[in-house]
Amino acid sequence: MTNQDIHENQPARQRWLGVLSRAGRAELEQALTTLADLPPIEHVRPPEPGMVMLRGRVGGTGDAFNLGEATVTRCALRVGAGALGVGYTLGRDRRKAELVALFDALLQDETRQAWLLRELITPMQQGQSAGREATSRSAAASKVEFFTFVRGET
Amino acid sequence: MKQQQLSAGFADPVHEAQAAFRAVLEALSRPGQCMALGRSVPGPGLGPAMAHLLLALTDDDTPVWWQQPGSAADWLRFHTGASVATAPAQAAFAVIGEVTTMPALDAFSAGSAESPEQAATLLIEVPSLSEGPAVEWHGPGIRDMQTVCLAGLPNRFWTQWQANHAAFPQGVDIVFTCADAMLGLPRTTRVRRLEGV
Repeated sequence: MTNQDIHENQPARQRWLGVLSRAGRAELEQALTTLADLPPIEHVRPPEPGMVMLRGRVGGTGDAFNLGEATVTRCALRVGAGALGVGYTLGRDRRKAELVALFDALLQDETRQAWLLRELITPMQQGQSAGREATSRSAAASKVEFFTFVRGET
Repeated sequence: MKQQQLSAGFADPVHEAQAAFRAVLEALSRPGQCMALGRSVPGPGLGPAMAHLLLALTDDDTPVWWQQPGSAADWLRFHTGASVATAPAQAAFAVIGEVTTMPALDAFSAGSAESPEQAATLLIEVPSLSEGPAVEWHGPGIRDMQTVCLAGLPNRFWTQWQANHAAFPQGVDIVFTCADAMLGLPRTTRVRRLEGV
């Protein structure tokens, strides 16, 4: 793989890393059992929890401010002699960060990529967007309108 | 592709970093005494002692100057976030693999009179810590006299060291490494060359 390939694959990789880190750990463990013949795993950076500063902008356009810190766990590993897989996930679940990194490494392997995207990433992504939609529907249904009556003082 | 070359750092980060820190503290407080340092770190092409020192001492506030830039710089950046200094004067740490062609000691930051602690620390890999010409070291941390036999140092090095020592409290500190051993030379140490060296 060259730098050019990395650049071209970047949007696809961003997508699967997003889906993987939003997925639940049980879901990832389940997916792992469907894979056979895994090459040996070499930890380049064992899973480690840490903090990141979340920054925000008022209204999306104002000055940046520090919103607060979030716990993040990260991991980097290599499967066989393949590419380096990285996993970042919110929270302190080391195993999940490891699984995300493992799937990222496998997804960069062109012989496995198409199958994994079809069988794993796409269904997960559909499940996640369905869940998000259900949440926003139930939130929308409970929306309350507030009215303020103008007092007649004339 | 750079990431293909990345390899692991400490196997047990907390304890190995503590051990390396303790060892370098000991090495700089007892100049000239050999300290053994840890298991080998495969991958970056550095000696075990050098790799341990870099992993334990550097972080994102300490620019590292590399005499021979290469995959080791990427490896260190991945593990500790240490940036790469473009000039020796900007470095907090300098990694020197070829001592005969290294820049003069005054090319590195010696700190200022107000904050001498900002001086650079040089990590120098030499061919041997015990099979070179004998040199006498005196100063704090040494009872009477310590004979040190570093191999591969050019003559101009000791002349530069006199000037470095004379600039106290400013001046650089040096840790010499060879495979899994190291030896400290802090700026407080006076050096006297023996006859015939």
